[in-house]
Amino acid sequence: MPALRRWAAVAVLTAVAALTVAACGDNGSSQATGTTTTSTSATTSTTVAATTTAKPATTADTTPVIQIRVVGGKPQGGVRRERVKLGEAVVLRVVADVADEVHVHSYDRKADVAPGKPAEIRFTADIPGVFEVELEQRRQKLLELEVR
Amino acid sequence: MWPLAHGIGGRSDLPVPLWLAQYGGAAALVVSFVVLVAFWQLPRFDDPDGGRPLPVRLQRVVDAPGTRLLLRLIGLAMGAAIVVVAVLGPPSPGANPAPTWLYVWFWVGLVPASLLLGPVWRALNPLRTLTMVISRFAGDRDAELARPLPPGLGYWPAVAGLLAFVWLELVYRDAALPITVAWFLLAYGAVNLFAGALYGPKWHDRCDAFEVYSTLIGHLAPFGRRSDGRLVLRNPLRGLSSIDQAPGLVAVVCTLLGSTAFDGLTRTQLWTRLTLTTGPLANALIGTAGLLAMVALIYGVYTAAVRASSRYLPRSQRQHREQLEARFVVSLLPIAVGYTTAHYFSLFLFQGQAGYILASDPFAAGWNLFGTADWRIAYTLISTATIALVQVAAIVTGHVLGVVVAHDRAVGIFSGKAKTDAQYPLLVVMVTYTTIGIALLVGA
Repeated sequence: MPALRRWAAVAVLTAVAALTVAACGDNGSSQATGTTTTSTSATTSTTVAATTTAKPATTADTTPVIQIRVVGGKPQGGVRRERVKLGEAVVLRVVADVADEVHVHSYDRKADVAPGKPAEIRFTADIPGVFEVELEQRRQKLLELEVR
Repeated sequence: MWPLAHGIGGRSDLPVPLWLAQYGGAAALVVSFVVLVAFWQLPRFDDPDGGRPLPVRLQRVVDAPGTRLLLRLIGLAMGAAIVVVAVLGPPSPGANPAPTWLYVWFWVGLVPASLLLGPVWRALNPLRTLTMVISRFAGDRDAELARPLPPGLGYWPAVAGLLAFVWLELVYRDAALPITVAWFLLAYGAVNLFAGALYGPKWHDRCDAFEVYSTLIGHLAPFGRRSDGRLVLRNPLRGLSSIDQAPGLVAVVCTLLGSTAFDGLTRTQLWTRLTLTTGPLANALIGTAGLLAMVALIYGVYTAAVRASSRYLPRSQRQHREQLEARFVVSLLPIAVGYTTAHYFSLFLFQGQAGYILASDPFAAGWNLFGTADWRIAYTLISTATIALVQVAAIVTGHVLGVVVAHDRAVGIFSGKAKTDAQYPLLVVMVTYTTIGIALLVGA
């Protein structure tokens, strides 16, 4: 008899699992689509603000610019590693033939990029380590930034 | 490259300076040979009943039914929290704490917790708790009517579980998404609950991947239990002799080592170049092949070494090679822990902070439950020099302890001149693993 109840427990578990998975699947997909749109629009507005404010023409001449050219969604010439000294100012300029978002991980700097609309990200390299610069939507690594 | 970079842990460590790596490697080599010709000729760590008993009062508290119940409730709460947040929280890994909880707090944190306190997950594991509840509801409280586990099964389900998890973590490109975490936890939970319902709580001893992981590492804890159940403070290496040996044990340890080595491999620029021009599907295939190849390499090298050592056994005992593999494999456990520490220490320290920062507002509802919502990850908590030092020290310490354990095993198994000779193959293996480990740190 208890053996039977064990099987009953298995049956109940199956039902519960099936229901959860069904419910969770629905939930997940609707949620995912809902928030992607909101997050992209939110970042667009912030990056516009960021690029316009963070462009004092005086410093732009002195800081070396790290250029990345993206062809067909991939960085031309492969993923380079750029070395930067801790505390230095960094300017990243991404020219791309695709529309996406450039993201510097951990520093959490983002900027939209599109054909004819290069992305420019400026920040001070104040965290040591190796960081990825990525095309966020494609999850394509563009550059490794080594700060030391 | 940290494969979970998409919103979680986008920082990786600087390459370890070459000179530091060379010193580390040299130290490992020297110690190896000192141990080899060493001091002791009789096994010292093979008595699982040694150690200094802890105060009776402490033991009473630890073993009290109330304490056990409390731990089980904490485990259930943790399990429920991560599933609920993964399912209902924001879909981005940068805003949802569930991925950090799973990959950093739980998976990485399980190592120091078990290393310090013993098999902690056994006491907390919500899946074991639910299995116990199911047994009770089935009117079979002591699980006497549960099916016996098939004799050859051993640790193999845990090997499968571990491979599934490390594949998800290191290969699958959407690993860091909360929805992935939700699916994994539900699937893992479902499989283990079914098996638990059929086989009873003993399923979790050898077949539930996370419990196996925690229990294995827990054997290296300074606290342990004698065979009579008494809690003791002991030499951590002594605990290794009481590991429950069953088929698949070697595969479990090799999976752990291999996956960490694969993680190191994917952080090298060589790997980045290899996967640059390929698409997502090809990358998944390359990643899967790479992961399996690393595990197979570790496994192959280890079994080949044991085969070579077994030639030093008297002819009559040579058919017991598999037992020999299982007896020596515990010596790889400290090495695996060293690898893990070297690779995930900084992630735990830095990305781990996101676990409590994001916990303040798990549903992106504008809450600030713990007052940490507007904190930022403090990346300057420790210097990069300290990180490099810890990394090399972890690998070298793991190596040294591994060699010591292997020596201790060898002197207990072999006799005469073979005591030394039989150690050479395994020593070569360990030096190889350590060299690979250090090289991966330099090439990062």
